[in-house]
Order: sequence, then structure tokens, then C-alpha cells
Amino acid sequence: MHKLSVAFQLNNKSVSLSVDPNDTLLDVLRNQLNLTGTKKGCGKGECGACTVILDGEAVNACLVPIMKVMGCSVQTIEGIGDAEHLHPLQEAFIDKGAIQCGYCTPGMIMSSKALLDKNKTPNQAEIREAIAGNICRCTGYVKIEEAVQAAAEKMRER
Amino acid sequence: MKEYQVVGKSVRRLDALEKATGMGTFTTDLVLPGMLYAKVLRSPHAHARIVRIDTSRAEQLPGVEAVACFKNTTRKRFNHSATMTFTVPPMEAVLDECIYDDVVRYVGDEVAAVAAVSERIAEEALALIDVEYELLPAVFDPVKAMEPNAPDIHTRKAGCFLCGKNIPGEKIHLALGNVEEGFKESDVIIEETFYLPVQKQAQLETQAALATVSHNGDITVWSTTQTPHPTRQILSHIFEISQSKIRVLNPPYIGGGFGVRIGLSAKAEPIAVDLAMKTKKPVKIVYDRKEDFTSTDTRHSGIVTVKLGAKKDGTFQALQLKGLLNTGAYCSFGAETIGVLGAMGLSVYRAPHMLYTGNSVYTNITPAGAFRGFGNPQAMFAIESVVDMMAEQLGMDAKELRLKNIIKPGDPWILPYSCQSTGLTECIEKGAKEIGWERRGKLNKPGDRLRRGIGMAVGTHVSDAWPFCGDFSNAYVTIQADGSVHVASGVPDMGTGTRTTLGQFAAEVIGVGMEHISVTIADTQSTPFDIGSHASRTCYVAGQAVMQAAAEARSYALTYAAKMLNEPLENLTIQNAAVYCRGERKLTLAEVARHAHLHNEQFIGVGKVIPQNAPPWLAHFAEVEVDTETGQVRLLKLVAAHDVGKAINPVIVEGQLQGGVVQGMGYALSEEVLFDRDGRSQHDAYHKYMLLTAEDMPEIKAIIVEAEDPTGPCGAKGVGETGQVATAPAIANAIYDAVGVRLKQLPMTEERVFQALQNQLN
Repeated sequence: MHKLSVAFQLNNKSVSLSVDPNDTLLDVLRNQLNLTGTKKGCGKGECGACTVILDGEAVNACLVPIMKVMGCSVQTIEGIGDAEHLHPLQEAFIDKGAIQCGYCTPGMIMSSKALLDKNKTPNQAEIREAIAGNICRCTGYVKIEEAVQAAAEKMRER
Repeated sequence: MKEYQVVGKSVRRLDALEKATGMGTFTTDLVLPGMLYAKVLRSPHAHARIVRIDTSRAEQLPGVEAVACFKNTTRKRFNHSATMTFTVPPMEAVLDECIYDDVVRYVGDEVAAVAAVSERIAEEALALIDVEYELLPAVFDPVKAMEPNAPDIHTRKAGCFLCGKNIPGEKIHLALGNVEEGFKESDVIIEETFYLPVQKQAQLETQAALATVSHNGDITVWSTTQTPHPTRQILSHIFEISQSKIRVLNPPYIGGGFGVRIGLSAKAEPIAVDLAMKTKKPVKIVYDRKEDFTSTDTRHSGIVTVKLGAKKDGTFQALQLKGLLNTGAYCSFGAETIGVLGAMGLSVYRAPHMLYTGNSVYTNITPAGAFRGFGNPQAMFAIESVVDMMAEQLGMDAKELRLKNIIKPGDPWILPYSCQSTGLTECIEKGAKEIGWERRGKLNKPGDRLRRGIGMAVGTHVSDAWPFCGDFSNAYVTIQADGSVHVASGVPDMGTGTRTTLGQFAAEVIGVGMEHISVTIADTQSTPFDIGSHASRTCYVAGQAVMQAAAEARSYALTYAAKMLNEPLENLTIQNAAVYCRGERKLTLAEVARHAHLHNEQFIGVGKVIPQNAPPWLAHFAEVEVDTETGQVRLLKLVAAHDVGKAINPVIVEGQLQGGVVQGMGYALSEEVLFDRDGRSQHDAYHKYMLLTAEDMPEIKAIIVEAEDPTGPCGAKGVGETGQVATAPAIANAIYDAVGVRLKQLPMTEERVFQALQNQLN
């Protein structure tokens, strides 16, 4: 198979890989780099479960051809916090009960983070717009919205 | 009310940290060395016989390791739902499918599967399988499917259990009193028919399984099942391998379920196991989203007729209900759902005369099975619409009419177990206050284009599947040598917080904090048999088993401590992980357990529960705004007041209610799978199927009412499904209040509301 090399910033570290150019960013994250925190829900950009942050924008990783990320900066759920140093959004999702099955959670958190990185004081409509491309079938979005609001407050205090 | 230390508190979920950091493992994430990927060839026809199938070109594609079809695969008949593991005689489970058959019965039915070194190669190989079909006549309409000249989708001759033309299982007949007498005694009678759509669970993780077969023939399957133990039984049946040689487990997380994987995860497990047996390698199958829409169970569409008779003062005299559910190409839970439709529909109101008749029917569409609510939402859309019509006809307030007629403990009712608790009156009053019920009918001025309305609906559900099906739980609770507590239960946690809730029960009973608890779930090898996660039963039944096991482990620890301290047992208690004697802290639980360990004893409790059943109750209120020019309905507020018995973890309970309510909202307003004239799904992707997003949410208020049930663990009742039960009729009644049109078909899309408004004008 014809392979190409690609280099980009992944969670603030440089990576250089030999990839199948037909692969998407999602394929490479999950299958090549074993970063399975980014979920696959539809593979067609319809559910948002694979949301990552690409150069500051929330994108569906399943729609990004891997060669498009050459020289870009990619952030995934694994890169924003861990058990000892949770991102305020992760903390808020846990504290507010915004997580049920958890399959939409990484994508939901990444969409929210892309919002909060740019807008410290989002209103309800802005939060809803930011996560409108992320489907959650468990929560009815109520506690997710509360969690994003709570995280925004926490981030303002810091 | 009893004071608890851990129960009733919104403790942090045990799974939240892993899920929030992306470290939680789901079936779709699993990889094993040497693993192959499976893809399925699906039928393009609604009904056809396979006259020739040639897999040789596919087999020759480099990277392909096996191709399976009916010619080289067991044709042992089964039912992919768990019904075949717990249908109790004289009832008979309907076994109407095999992994691959030489007849396909809906668009999306399994024809063949390929195992290859990559998903891409497996997919390429599918295109190389040559199939010649002989088309058979197909039927999609449930009424037409019962007509004598309709095509037979399954036959008795082929061993299928039928009780009429295309009718699987049994016709359901439930009666109380004599409805004919009841209608004679009634002053007002209303009879109406309602049409229900196909709704899809659309859970975020599609069906998936990873199977390995060892050289000894031991099978391990990680999968998305909601019921690992019954899944093992079904696999044992299909492959004729003893249950003890099969291990089924969740890895441990499941990306939702809502009923779609009670039993097998569609056919993911047997397809993977069969290909693993053929290739002697691990095989993983992940359904793509389209397959998940076209080839996994849906909610039953159907037709429900209600006839209600009442006295002038509003007293209900007779209630007759008729149900017809379209179960699609395979029965799945079709024989049970139709029963629950009637049983739940008739157990909300008191009437001396009641009658339910219903049956499911095969057609050539995607099979329908279990989906949150299980027949109940179909019943309650019809009944609660008619109750509102009755209120109007009698000139009574719709809330007062309900309060007058709802079941109270001690009333005769249709169910084979007693109603021992109800907080429905409190639910109605609290919900009415929250929505501002007194504003009803006073929200609009003549000529308003945007018209507001308020509606309500009530309902009940179950806390397990008994006595409709077999239903029991076991659990182990072990106090380890360091005093920490391990809980083992066979139920999964598909996102409902089961793991945390079960841990809370163990912590409460033993007298330790949650930091001492760990919980193993959903693994047939390390947990005792449990029916699994369905019928709103995990907290209610598995919770009882864990409480029982914990009580036994605690009593062993206390008995041991009594010996150590040379004190009478009755003076000792465990609190905060320490043994107290008449209020004085004597030993830590860790010290007791360590001492016991060094003297060859461990404190292991076993819980075995044959449950009763208990009714949760609910009242939903909706406020809507209808655009009279476009037919668009905007939901402004939804209130869901639920009697949950006891909220073991209030934040988890609220989450269940909010999520259920929003699925009910989708059922009411937008979600529907339609099939074209050739039986092809028109809604086989997220962007085609109109799921609600965050931007569609109204204000949602969940109100918890706690009428503890004497049969429940700490008084708890089932809460997993109740949110879905009466949302659609509350919205329909609000639309009527707003614009005076009565929608009798779901979902109440803009087109349908607009059409109804046009009809009203003419």
C-alpha cells in the first residue's frame, strides 16, 4: 500500500507518521496511535462523537483526511487532562452528572472546550450552538449544558 | 423516613472519571493480536429466496480468511432477544431466525459475512459475493399482513410458533369485569384509533462484538449486550456448546442501549463467534451506523384503539383497548411487547370493566423489539389522548378527571401483583404547580398566530419483568482481607449508573463509605447469573440481591468481631468501616478482616433474589407554542414528576428522567423511520433521522416524588423507562389546548400539524 509521511502537533507533542493517505484523522488516532478516547459513532460527521480540536476549531475527526493535518495542531480528549489534573470541563461533567453511557462525552467535552477557549462567558444559546453537532442520547443535554456553564465559571475564577 | 449514610446521596459515579478522560473502554475500542474484522453482506430485497450464492471470488481476495453464509454455517434457530432464555412454559418462545438463512425477509437481513485482515478488505470482499435472488411477494402493512392472501413470512411448517396468519406467539387477552355491561352503564363513550411510528434507539455506540475461541474450544465474547448471562445462553443454544465454556462480558462500558441489545447485540455476537471458529482467530464486528438503523431492533410501530366509557360525574366505567404492533421480519420481543402494551395501558385507571386484546404481526421491515417503555408509550399516547377528550366532553378539568380515576392501592387492577404504593397524586399536584396548570386555556387572544397550550398525561411502568417473564438476580459481596468491599453482579451499566447504585447499596448495608467499594459487573465468568439490564430492573432487583449479599457478608464480619471482642453480637454494629460496641469504636473493619484472613476465614455473602414487582408512577406536563401558519410546534417547558419509590442517587435518577423525557419528545415531534414501497428504510442515518439536539431543548424540570414501595430496595422502584411513557400525550394534549386540533398520529411533525390545522379550517 502506498504510504505517505505526515507530521503534526498532537496534544502539544510533535508526531511524525507513515500513513495511508486514504485514512482519516480518526482512523489514525484510533487505529495507529491507539488513542481510543476519540469515539466513532457514525463515520460521516453526523454525531460529533469523534470531535477533536484542530488549530483551535472543533472538527469531526472522521471527516478530516489525515494529510490535511500536516503542520497543524490537534488536541484530543487525552491531551486536555488526566485523572490527577482534570480540565475544568472534565471536572464539571463528572460533578454535574453530565455523563451517562460516556460515548458522546469526549466529543462533547472537546466541542465545549473549543467554545470556552474562545469565549469565557458563553450564554445558553452559545453553549447550545457549540454542542449542537454532538448527539447525546442519554442525558437530554440538561446536565451537559449545566456542566459547560459550571466549567466556564470555574475557568473564570482561575 | 429512614436516615441513610450513602443511599439517597448523589455520590460521584464510579465510571465518571474514566469516561471523562477518554480512558473508558468500549467494545468498539478493543483490539487483540491477530484480530480479524468482519463485515456483513445484507439483503437488498424485502423478501427473497437465495437461489444461488457463490463466495469463491470473495474467498480468493488476499486478506480474506473466511466467508460465512447459510451453506457453511449452523442453521440452528433462535431469537436474538433474551425472550428465548426466560419465556416460562406454557408460553413458548418464538425461534424464527438463524444467523444466515436461504430466505431474506427484510432489506438489511444478513446474507453472508466476511472476516479479513482489515475492515476495508472485508468490505471489498462483500462486493465479490455473487447472489442470485428469487423475489418473493412482500407485505409492509400490519393489517394487510394478517389477510389470508398475504405472503407467509414465517410458517408453522418451518417450525415457527404462530397463532394466526403472520402472528407470532400468542394473542393477548386481558379482562376485568364485563366491558359490554360497563359501556351500557356509561353516560359518555369515546372511541378513537391512534397510529404509532417506528422509533429508533439510535444509541451512540453501534452493535459490536469481539470473539475469540481457544484451542480448548472455550469462547470469550466482549460485546455491547445489556444481558451478558442470557447472551451466553443464546450462544450456547446456537453453537451447541455448554454454557460453562462460554464467557460473555462488557469491556466494561456500553455506549447506551435503551433496549436494543437485550439478548444479542442484533447478530454481532453469533457472527463474530462463527467467524472466530472458522478462522481460529479473534474476530471483531462493529455495525456501521446504517446497519444499526436498518438491521437492529426498533420500537414497534402500530395501531391502538381506545374505547372509554364514563358516568356524567367522570367516574370511569369501562375501558377497552386494542393493540396491533408491527414486529417486522422477526419476532424478537414482539410477543411480549404487545402484552406489556395492554398490561400497562389498563393499570393506570380504576374501572370496573376492562378488556384488552392485541397481537403482533410480521411484515417485511426491520424487526422491532425492546425500546425504553416497551409497548407502554404506544398505549399511553392513545389512552391519555382519549382521557383528555373525555374531560372536554364532560366539561371537567383534565387534571381533576385523572385525580378522580387513578388507581389507588387496594383497587382491583389487571396486573397479577398488587399495587402497594403510589405517589401519583403528589406527582400530579407538584407537576401542575410547576407548569402553572391554572393558566391552561387562558394563554391566547383571538387572532394570535402563535398560540400557546398546556397539556398533561400520566402513567406507570414496571420495576422488573416478573411475572411476564422469568426474572431473578444473584450477587456476591466480599469483604476482602484489607476490609475493602467487592461487589459482583451480572448486570451491565449501559450508562444508567447501575454500578454506582449497586455500590451504594453495599456501602450502606455494610457500613462503609464509597471509597471502600469496588464493583465488578457484566461478566459471566466472575459474576453469578443475572437476567441483566432491562425492564427497569437493575436497581430494583439486582439492588435487592446486592443488599442481601452485603447483609450476609456483614453478619459474618460481625459474628467474627463478636468472637474477637468477646462481646454479644447484638451489641455490635459497623459504621464508617469500623466495629462499634454499644457506641464505642473498637476495631476497624480492616483489622477484623485481616484477623479473619490469618485464621482462614473470608466474609463472602451471596444474594439470591426472586423479585416481586412494583409500579413507579409519573405525571408529565408540557407547555407548547404552535405556529398556526406553519404547523411548527415549539416546546417551551416539560415537567416530569415521577414517583421513583426512593431515589438511591438523585442526580442519576434525574438524569434517567431527563434523558427519557427527551426521547419521548423525539417520539412526539420528530423521530420516525419510514420505509419506501420496496421496504427500504428512508431514515438510515443520523442526519436523516430527526434526533433532537441541544438547540431543540425546552426548559426541562424533573421532580422526584418518593412513595417508597415495601418490596423495593430501600423502597426504590424502577426508573429507567418511565421518562419515555407519557411525554408524547402530554405534548399532544398541549397542542390541542393551543389550537384545538387532535393529532392521532405520531410524530406530530410540522406537516401533520399543518394538515390538521387545514382540515380544521375546512
